[in-house]
Amino acid sequence: MRKSKLPAGPLATRRVTAAWVLLCGAALCCACAGVRAQESADLATQLHAEKVAVTICGTCHGADGNSTQPKFPRLAGQNPNYLAAQLKAFRSQSRGDPDAISYMWGMAAELDDEAIAALAAYYAKQKPEPGPRADPAELTRGRDLYEHGIAAQGVPACSSCHGADAHGTQDFPRLASQHEQYILKQLGSFQSNMRKVAIMHGVAQNLRSPEMQAVAAFLQAQP
Amino acid sequence: MLRRTIGEASNLSALTILAAALLAAPRAHAVPSFARQTGMACEACHTVYPALTHFGRVFKANGYLLSNVKQVRDVTGKKEELLSLGQTVPLSIMAQISYTQMKTSVPDLSTAGAPGVAQNGTAGFPQQLSLFYAGKIAPNFGGFIQITYANDSGTLGIDNTDLRFANTTLLADNKPFTYGLSLNNNPTVQDLWNSTPAWGYPYAATNAAVSPLAGTAIDGAFAQDVAGLTAYLYWNESLYAEVGGYRSAKQGQLNELTGGAGPLDGTASNVMSGVAPYWRLAYEYNWSRHSIELGAYGAEFRLYPGAGAPLSGPLNRFKDVAEDLQYQFVSDDHQVTFAGTHIHESMTLDASFANGGSANPKDNLSTTRVWADYYYRRKIGATVAYFSTTGSSDGALYPPTAGEPGGNPGVVVSANGSPDTRGWMGEINYVPWLNVKISAQYTAYSKFNGAGTNYDGLGRSASDNNTVYLLLWFAY
Repeated sequence: MRKSKLPAGPLATRRVTAAWVLLCGAALCCACAGVRAQESADLATQLHAEKVAVTICGTCHGADGNSTQPKFPRLAGQNPNYLAAQLKAFRSQSRGDPDAISYMWGMAAELDDEAIAALAAYYAKQKPEPGPRADPAELTRGRDLYEHGIAAQGVPACSSCHGADAHGTQDFPRLASQHEQYILKQLGSFQSNMRKVAIMHGVAQNLRSPEMQAVAAFLQAQP
Repeated sequence: MLRRTIGEASNLSALTILAAALLAAPRAHAVPSFARQTGMACEACHTVYPALTHFGRVFKANGYLLSNVKQVRDVTGKKEELLSLGQTVPLSIMAQISYTQMKTSVPDLSTAGAPGVAQNGTAGFPQQLSLFYAGKIAPNFGGFIQITYANDSGTLGIDNTDLRFANTTLLADNKPFTYGLSLNNNPTVQDLWNSTPAWGYPYAATNAAVSPLAGTAIDGAFAQDVAGLTAYLYWNESLYAEVGGYRSAKQGQLNELTGGAGPLDGTASNVMSGVAPYWRLAYEYNWSRHSIELGAYGAEFRLYPGAGAPLSGPLNRFKDVAEDLQYQFVSDDHQVTFAGTHIHESMTLDASFANGGSANPKDNLSTTRVWADYYYRRKIGATVAYFSTTGSSDGALYPPTAGEPGGNPGVVVSANGSPDTRGWMGEINYVPWLNVKISAQYTAYSKFNGAGTNYDGLGRSASDNNTVYLLLWFAY
């Protein structure tokens, strides 16, 4: 059955208008409340992530992601996409370098995607502290390798993916100010394929130990 | 391991036993249930068990709560957690199988005054077997609870226990601030560093050799024989402060009147009067692969001798003040720990002096222990330790004969009434897997109960008590 039309006339019009206003207002309020709820949920997740980062991750990685122990990578200023991808790789146990197995497989086991995103966002906004200066000669060798690679050995320039300033891109990690020892260990893991990343395996297998040393020392010293 | 309780051997004076209980084998344990709960390998929390890394100390201060396993949960509408049970129950078992050989055997006690010696070479199979619940119990409540069978007592009993409420909050400057309560049964068992007595070196020791007479009260004399509640603060994972108190909670103490446990009466010995205050202050600094800790701790125990005397009247007071230090270097290849403690004890022996239990109204005793550990890739390691106890001589407190005249020959006596004992320990370890350790340990005494030679008046030398201790120690 067709619904009867609303009675015509100014009163009815006003009523309809008022109803619309009320309806729209209510909808707006609901929408606003929804946005606020979303915002507060995001805020709560962020605050929780901040607490987890400082009180749990921070014991090794430093409260602000500037770890002092070279065994544990510096995470301050790291690209969030890269961080999230790594946490997911730990969670799925697909990243297999020794410290990933010993430490991070467990730590990431119960993180959900939301927590991973919030943790990645927390570290991305932390200010990285500059690393210690390297020996000038080593610095020069490392810079040369980073910027130009070693064509004769089939090693491409690191800067082609990690950026001229070593700050990385959306998906390639920031390497500037990273611990020298950590970079060396990762290059070793790429080389042995314990940490399976095809591009980096290709790069690392052509690098010799002094070359790795030079580039790691250069990167640690970058702001 | 389970320590000998102060009241067990009533044929010796209470204070002698108090002292003799010291330097008994400490009980030091690592628990794989923590690894299962956190999903992290032992190396996260230990250099090699039971020595803790910085991460291990923070994990302990946080109440053993960090859990990375699926939880059975209950929450309110306001997201308040009512229940959080890990789906993996944090249980572990641990065994120590040992062999002990002394340089010179102890006398045969089958007949008083009989010649001959006891069998030298004691196999402990097991020396100790333990069951642990170690991990999270509730959202802010965790525990380390150990039940141990020990071959010397032949019984199962409560061992080291530390129940914790803990929480961590963020301060305005984004620094972590942890606060908590520990309910435990051994002063310093709740401590975070291995430089304090409960978790210090030797991490494992024989229970089948002769122990010196003297030791300070805080150095394990009350292990598993007290109940203590302490409150602690841990700022920025570096500054640690703790205060609390202990009260006698003797195990296996039967009250004749009630036919049940307690209340304690004069049949018990060394019963605390009131609450014994305990305090602890420490600061840790971490840089690169290094960490260094400096601290102090202490307690004051006021004891009724009991053992046939009413729990009233004069008291014996033991005031202990100690300093400790720990340095660690931890890398993938090399793990180095240097640690030590110095404990000074002032005794005011009103009760013992009045009943002849001590020759002096006041005595003092100091113990120093320092050790250095080195491990290569957590696989092969060695430890060297020095220990020394010195104090005022007291012919009644450290008597020349054990028990009644004509009784057992010497060995755990002091002919000159001096408590001084000094020596070295050396140990080599092989850790084929992170939860299995094989050790060979040697203890060498240059002085024992007051002298290097003829310390018992019957010709026994300090070095006769030198001991070889072989140990297979594993936990699962």
